[in-house]
Amino acid sequence: MKLNFYIIVFLITSFASAQVTFEAKVSKKKLGINERLRIDFVMNKDGDNFNPPSFENFTVVGGPSQSINNSWINGVKSFSKTYSYFLAPKKRGKFTIGQSTIEIEGEIYKTLPISIQVTAAVDKPKNPNDPNYIASQNIHLVAEISKTNPYLNEAITVVYKLYISPNTGVETWREIDNPRYSDFWSQNINMKELKLVNSTYKGEDYRYVILRKTVLYPQKTGKLNIEPLSLDVKVQVPTNRRDIFGGRLMKSVHRTVAAGNRTIHVKPLPEKGKPIDFTGAVGEFNFKVTTNKRELNATEAFQAKIQVSGKGNLKLFKLPKLKLPSSLEVYEPEHSENVSTNLNGMQGSISDTYTIVPSTQGKYPFPSVSFSYFDLKTKSYKTVASNEFIVNVTGNPLNGNISNNKNPLTNNKQLIEPSKNQFLSFKTKTNFVPIKTTHFFKSKLFWILLLFPFFIIPIAIVIKRKRDKREGDVMGNKIRKANRLARKYLGEAKKTLGHKEAFYNALERALHNYLKSKLNIETSEFSKDKIQQLLKEKQVSNLTVTEFNDLLKSCELARYSPFSNVEMQQDYDKASKVISAIDKQMR
Amino acid sequence: MKKFIYIAICLLSNLVVAQNNEVFTNANSLYNEGKYQEAIQSYESILNNGVHSSELYFNLANAYYKSNQIAPSIYYYEKAKQLSPYDKDINNNLSFAKNMTIDVIDNIPETGFSRMIKSITNTFNFDTWAVFSVAFVFLFVLLSLAYYFSYSTTKKRLFFISSFIVLSFAIITLFLAFQKEAYNKNDNPAIVFAQESNVKNEPNLRSGTAFVLHEGTKVEILETYNKNWTKIKIANGKTGWIANNDIKPIKDF
Repeated sequence: MKLNFYIIVFLITSFASAQVTFEAKVSKKKLGINERLRIDFVMNKDGDNFNPPSFENFTVVGGPSQSINNSWINGVKSFSKTYSYFLAPKKRGKFTIGQSTIEIEGEIYKTLPISIQVTAAVDKPKNPNDPNYIASQNIHLVAEISKTNPYLNEAITVVYKLYISPNTGVETWREIDNPRYSDFWSQNINMKELKLVNSTYKGEDYRYVILRKTVLYPQKTGKLNIEPLSLDVKVQVPTNRRDIFGGRLMKSVHRTVAAGNRTIHVKPLPEKGKPIDFTGAVGEFNFKVTTNKRELNATEAFQAKIQVSGKGNLKLFKLPKLKLPSSLEVYEPEHSENVSTNLNGMQGSISDTYTIVPSTQGKYPFPSVSFSYFDLKTKSYKTVASNEFIVNVTGNPLNGNISNNKNPLTNNKQLIEPSKNQFLSFKTKTNFVPIKTTHFFKSKLFWILLLFPFFIIPIAIVIKRKRDKREGDVMGNKIRKANRLARKYLGEAKKTLGHKEAFYNALERALHNYLKSKLNIETSEFSKDKIQQLLKEKQVSNLTVTEFNDLLKSCELARYSPFSNVEMQQDYDKASKVISAIDKQMR
Repeated sequence: MKKFIYIAICLLSNLVVAQNNEVFTNANSLYNEGKYQEAIQSYESILNNGVHSSELYFNLANAYYKSNQIAPSIYYYEKAKQLSPYDKDINNNLSFAKNMTIDVIDNIPETGFSRMIKSITNTFNFDTWAVFSVAFVFLFVLLSLAYYFSYSTTKKRLFFISSFIVLSFAIITLFLAFQKEAYNKNDNPAIVFAQESNVKNEPNLRSGTAFVLHEGTKVEILETYNKNWTKIKIANGKTGWIANNDIKPIKDF
């Protein structure tokens, strides 16, 4: 009776304890043709009439073996019964192990069919109990790359994840080989703590740990290789042995894992529309130029800052140079970076600070500086230009004040220095001249004035020659002189024509002067006989001589007797006739 | 009738001159009030009347300097300098304007002899040299006639020597006049007006950039090609081709 009661209680508890499960488990789903496979059919309630599937493509090398497992844990009883078979595949291919059935408490349960892939022979059949083999199957290192075809200088990230299957454990690891990202600019992101995350790996339950994150900026185009990261991991692997409590004994194994080689394809930046001042900045940036002073005294220093801020390869390009008036004293810029790197790449700002000292006063323009970058969002180049501005340097440097302080009396006096180093204001007075001017040089007047004087020389020489010639014959000169004199006196006589006395005086004087010059006689020798004799000597005809004498006589007579105007005119004509006649006849 | 016309012309020209002077004073007061743009317009209206003066260019350049326009400022200072090369005020303010330029170009120092000749040639304008040579020619003729007509040997000797000295002076001044004219013809400075201009190796856009010039730099025009390109030389002796629009020659009067 008691026994019956126990059986009833047993049955009830087992009813309540769990639902019936019946499933098939394989040791592996993929195996080489020279390997073996173990299949377990596990149920949690005892049943009858177990009917295994027909293992058509396999040969049963072992089994069926039965095992029953009963355990009581915290008052809960668990039961499992297993039928095991060891199978060897007959040929390569994909096979399905069909359903098996069992009758438990009058009901028929079935397992799910399992598909198995049989591949070519494996070199060394893996011993499924070898801890190294188990470790290799349960530990994986994977490199995840955010983008495999980035632009040049576009940030990509590599995340190294260590996948660990749930039934193994990792004690420690050591990096054997660090990848050298030779064609990249790289920065590791420090992992503060390692977090175990549940995940799946190739469809199986796994846990993973992120070991390392690296941001890479490709510096070359084309196919680039990312070297693998190799780790030496100390793995705890379950063994078949169990301790006295039934727990599995774990064994520590050193295992080297490596993330496979990865290749990324780097695209070059488009050539089209590439600005001239492009220095390789890729990302999204702001650009500005600032100064700390706009108004200052000469020889005071001020700073100009050229700054690029934003997201992108901030450390990997050159800042544009500040173009400054040459008269400013500019020192080498101080470069500062305020960049933080996370998985999205570099963020922050970089700047060049120029220290500038103007030595003289004046206005100094800061021309616009432009900065170009490649915008990854719009996949185009963008140029940002800074504003132009002017720094005004006023006043003279504060010099000489110290020496003035020595004498307090002169301190009150303002020294007016000469206008040196001072911008001069407008001029108030001017004289306008026409813009279009005619030049004297090469004008007609110029050539005439330049060359005409040279013609004067030969003319003057000719004139002088003639004069010399005249001066050469003395007599001729005298004749000319007499003629001139006679003409002169006769001219005087002509003027006084009509006034009897004056006329005859002039006429007589003219005749006398004429003879004086002709005959080379003095006034004292003047007598009619002498004149006649001399004229005759000079072969003057008698007629002319008598006419001359008549003229002299009439001159004398005229003083005492009246003469009419007509007679005066006759005498004048006669005088000129006689003079020219004497001139002709005289030798 | 003729007299009347002369008087009319005289009066008319006086009127124009008076008008220009009035505009000039007005522009000066605009400048003084700080209305530089208006002052610039007034000054330029005087230039449009066909007259100029170094003071006008100086004030105009000052106004441009005050309104921060580098290239026109330097341009008009250089023009003022053309009219009165030895004005200290112009040179003083020009140095202020040159402070604003970006380019630094070293001058090639000239050798002693050519520099001497150049400085002598540049003392006067070629018109003045021409007047000198004409004067010397007249003096020479007078002296040679005096030589010819004088009788005493000492006098003759004196006149002969002095006439030849004067003749050589006439020839030298004539030579200097030609030289100065040639200098003026070859000296064609221009100012870069473009903010930044690439000077090319060849007169086309394809060729490489020899150097880059910035606003306000003075260059020397050597020749022009195709109306679009000008061959220039900078103070350190480098040459290249620049687009015509980027520069403005100083001597367009």
